Amino acid sequence: MKIIRYFSLRNKYMNQAEPDEKDSEPISPDLEKNLEVIKGILHESSDVTIHEFNFGPERKYKGALIFINSITDKEEIHKNILQPLMYDVLLLSNNMDMDFTDIDTIRMNLISMTDNLKVTMLNDLLDSLLAGAAILLINGSREALAIKSIKIKSRSIEEPGTEAVVRGPREGFVENINENIALIRRKIKDTDLCVEKFVIGEKSKTDVCIVYLKSVANPKVVEEIRTRLKRIKTESILESGYIEQFIDDNPYSVFPTVSNSEKPDKVTAKILEGRVAVLVDGTPFVLVVPMVFIESFQSVEDYYARPFFASVIRLIRFMSFIISTLGPAIYVALTVFHQELIPTRLLISIAEGRERVPFPAIMEAFLMLFAFDLLREAGVRLPKPVGQTVGIVGAIVLGEASVQAGLISPIMVIVVSATAIASFAVPAQTDSGTLLRYLYLTLAGIAGGFGIILGLLATLMHLASLRSFGTPYLWPVVPLDLTGLKDVFIRMPIWTISKRPSAITRHDSDPYKQSPDLMPSPYKNDSDDSR
Amino acid sequence: MGKKMNFRIMKLIICFFMLPVLSGCLGARQINDLEIVIGMGVDKEEESGNVLLTAQVVKVDMSGGGAANARGGGGEDSEGYWNVSSKGKSIFEAVRQITHKTGNRLFISHNQAVIFGNDVATEGLQAYIDFFLRAHEMRPTALILVSEKKASEVLDAKPETEKYPAMNIAKLVKTYGFTSHFYEVNMEDFASCMMSDTMAPLAPLVSIVQENDCKEIYISGMAAFKNGKMVGTLNHDEARGVLWVLGKVKSGVIIVPSPNKQGEAILEIIKAKSKVKPGIKDGKIVMHIEIKNEVSLSEQTTTEKLATIEALEKIQEATSEVIRQEVMAAFEKSKDLKADIFGFGEMLHKKYSKEWKSIKDNWDEIYPTIELNIDIESKIIKTDLLKKPVSQNKEEK
Repeated sequence: MKIIRYFSLRNKYMNQAEPDEKDSEPISPDLEKNLEVIKGILHESSDVTIHEFNFGPERKYKGALIFINSITDKEEIHKNILQPLMYDVLLLSNNMDMDFTDIDTIRMNLISMTDNLKVTMLNDLLDSLLAGAAILLINGSREALAIKSIKIKSRSIEEPGTEAVVRGPREGFVENINENIALIRRKIKDTDLCVEKFVIGEKSKTDVCIVYLKSVANPKVVEEIRTRLKRIKTESILESGYIEQFIDDNPYSVFPTVSNSEKPDKVTAKILEGRVAVLVDGTPFVLVVPMVFIESFQSVEDYYARPFFASVIRLIRFMSFIISTLGPAIYVALTVFHQELIPTRLLISIAEGRERVPFPAIMEAFLMLFAFDLLREAGVRLPKPVGQTVGIVGAIVLGEASVQAGLISPIMVIVVSATAIASFAVPAQTDSGTLLRYLYLTLAGIAGGFGIILGLLATLMHLASLRSFGTPYLWPVVPLDLTGLKDVFIRMPIWTISKRPSAITRHDSDPYKQSPDLMPSPYKNDSDDSR
Repeated sequence: MGKKMNFRIMKLIICFFMLPVLSGCLGARQINDLEIVIGMGVDKEEESGNVLLTAQVVKVDMSGGGAANARGGGGEDSEGYWNVSSKGKSIFEAVRQITHKTGNRLFISHNQAVIFGNDVATEGLQAYIDFFLRAHEMRPTALILVSEKKASEVLDAKPETEKYPAMNIAKLVKTYGFTSHFYEVNMEDFASCMMSDTMAPLAPLVSIVQENDCKEIYISGMAAFKNGKMVGTLNHDEARGVLWVLGKVKSGVIIVPSPNKQGEAILEIIKAKSKVKPGIKDGKIVMHIEIKNEVSLSEQTTTEKLATIEALEKIQEATSEVIRQEVMAAFEKSKDLKADIFGFGEMLHKKYSKEWKSIKDNWDEIYPTIELNIDIESKIIKTDLLKKPVSQNKEEK
C-alpha cells in the first residue's frame, strides 16, 4: 500500500515541476482591486498591515503600503518610505513635473532604502511580502515595489554548546543566515568568496546559501550541490539536517557523509581547503561537503595547539573511537568465548565479579548499554538542573546498586563507563559509533572474536565504498595520499602542510596554499662570530 | 524497484534475526560455568594402578573480591582453591570423572603447572604426558615438574604470600634466574626433548619439608629422564653445571676462596654465554665448551683488599675453576645416569650427520667416553659500592 502511495505522490510532485507559472497573475493597475485580492489571499491575518495614503503634489496620487508588522521594521518604513512619499515629495514636485504612477520614478527619487525590487506578478509580490518586505502599490501602476525591511530579533553570538574549545575563537553561528554569512565574510576577505542563494521549501521558503571559494573549490562539486539543492521539492526546510538528508550520497549508511559545525573558524578552514559550505536560515548548524572520515577525528584546536600535543590527542581520539565501538564487544568475546586469552589473575577477578550475576555476559552488556543510552537521552532532553539529578541517580543506581544487587558485574560497569566516556571524544561519529557498538556486541555474543572480525570487515568494506560528493570517504588513507597523511594520524606542524588536500580542491588550481619553506628558525647573523 | 528493494531488506532482516537462534552461540561458555584449573598433579594409586589426578580449581565464591565483601566477607580460614581429585584408568578419564564432583567441565587453559609424582615419573611419563600435549585447551607453555613425593601433597602445601599453591610453584620455577640452580621446563620443551633419540629431558624437582606443622615446598634440583623414565636427580650445583653448558645461566652466586685463603669472595653472575663445538679427533669425541661470564664482587668475608689487579685476577681464575667443577660434576653425574642431559648427541648429529649413523646405535656406550675441553673466561666487572672492606686498615696495621 505504502509503495503505491509513494508512487502516486511522486508522480504528483514530478508533474508540477514548475508550479509557480500556473496560478500567477499580473498586478492590476486598480489599487482597490489589488488590495482586495491580497487581503483574500492572506486570509486577513491580523499581523498584516495595509496602509492606504494619498501623496504627491496636491495629494492626488493614491498608494498603499502592505507589510507584515511582526517581521518588519516599522520605524524604518515610516522614516524611509512613508515620510519621503508624503512630505519630501513636496519639495521635489514644486519645481518638477513628475509622474508618480511610475514605480521607477518613485524608486529613483523618493525611497531612501536599498534592497528594493520591482515586481509585476502577484506571486512575486506575495513572496517578497512574506520574506519581510514592505510592498508599495500605486494606483494606476502595473508594478509594485518590494522594499526589504525585515527585522528579526537574532540571538547574540555565543560560544556554541556542542563544540566548546579551550583555545580558539568562542563565537558560534546563530539562527540568522545573514549573520552567519557575515561571520564567514569577516574571516575571508577575498573576492573569490562566492555566496549563492537558493530558496527551498514551498511553505517555509527557507533561505539556503552555498558559500565557497571559486578558485579553490572543485566546480564539479559546486555544480553537483546546485543540482541536488534544486532537486529538493518539499514543503519545508526547518533545519540543515533536512538538507543533509536530501543531498546525502549514501542515504542508507550509518556514517555521515556531510559534516556539520557550529563554529565559523572550522567552517572557514574547510572552505579554504576547497569545501563548500551550505548555510540554512534558522539553524546555527552549517553543513560542509565533501566530508571524509578522518575529519571526524580532527578538531579545530588541533591546529591551534602545538603539533606534538595535538598529535597525541588525535591518536587518543582514534583509540577512543575503537574503544567506544568495540569495548563491550571485546569484553563479551573474551569472557564468553576466549577465556584462555585473559591473564589468569584477571580471569579470576572477573570470575569473582561475575559470581552472582544471573545473566549471560551479552545480556549484561545490553542491559548496561541500554541503561546508559537511556540516561544520556534523558539527561540531554531534560532541563539542566533536572538532567543533573537524573545523572546522579543513574550513576548511583546503575553503578552502585546494580553491582550490590548482583545484577551486573563490576567489570562490566567499568567497561561500559569507559565506552561511554570514549564515545564522546569523537562527537562527529557518536551516532554511528552507538549503532556500531550494538552491532559488534551482537556479533560478539553470537560468534565471539570471529563475529567481531566479520563485523569489522563489513564496516571496512562499507567505509571504503562510501563517497562524499566524489571524494572517497577514507581519503587520504584509501586511496593513499602521502601529502594528505600529514594531517591524519598525527598533525604535522602547520608550516609543513603547504598543500591543499588534493582530493577536495579543484584540480587546475595552485596546490600550494603557502610557501613550502616556512620553517621558523632562530635569527642567524653570520658576521657575528663573538658567540 | 521499490517493492523489490523492500523485499530484499525484509529478507536481510529476517536472516539477521535468525542468526542467533540458528547458530546456538557456537562455543559460548559463561565464566560462571568454568572450573578454572591452575595446577594439576598426577599420581598413581598403589593398589589398583589407577591414575590419581588432582586438579587445583579456583574457588571463586570464597576468594574475596567486591561481591564477596558485600556479603560480609568470605570465611577467614577458607582457602581460595579446591584440590579436587579423581581416579581413572587414564588421565582423560579422570579429568571427566572430576565432573562428578565439580558439576562443570574443567577449564585447563590457565593451567600453570603439571606436577608428576615420583612414582609416575619413575614408571615413565609417556603414558601420562600424551593428554597434556593433545588437549587443545592445554597450553604448551604450562610448566612441568616432578615431585619428590606425591604430587597431590605439593598442591596441598599452602604458601604464605601467595593465594594459590600452583601459582606459587610456577612463580618459584620462573624466577630460577636468581640462582640458576634449575630452570623452567614447559610442556613443549619437555616433549621436544623426549622426541629426540638421545637427549635426556630435565624437569625441576619439587621437595616438601615439614616445618612446624606447616608444609613448605622448594625446588631441590632437577630430575633427569631417560626414555621417559626418571633415572636420577641433579642437585643445585650439578644443575647449574648443565645450565653453564646450555648457556641458560642468568644470575647466581659463586663463592670462591680469597687469594690469601683467609675468607671468601662472593660473586654474583651478571652475564654468561656459552658456545659448544663438537669435534671428532682420532675417533674420539671431544666437546669444546667455551664459557664466558661477567661477575661482580657482591660480598667479601675476608679483610683483604680485593680491588687490586692481582687479587682480581686470582679471583677470576678461582671463579673459572668453580665453574669448571660444576660442569664436570654435572658431566660425571650424567655419565653415571647414562643420560645425555646436555644434548651432546643432537649437536653431533647436526655437525657430523654422516658419522652419526654409526654413533647413534651405541650412543649409550660412547657417551661416557666423550672428552670435555672446557675453556672458561671469567671477568669481574665491578665491585659494587665498596672499593675496599671497611675493616681493612685496622687489620693490616
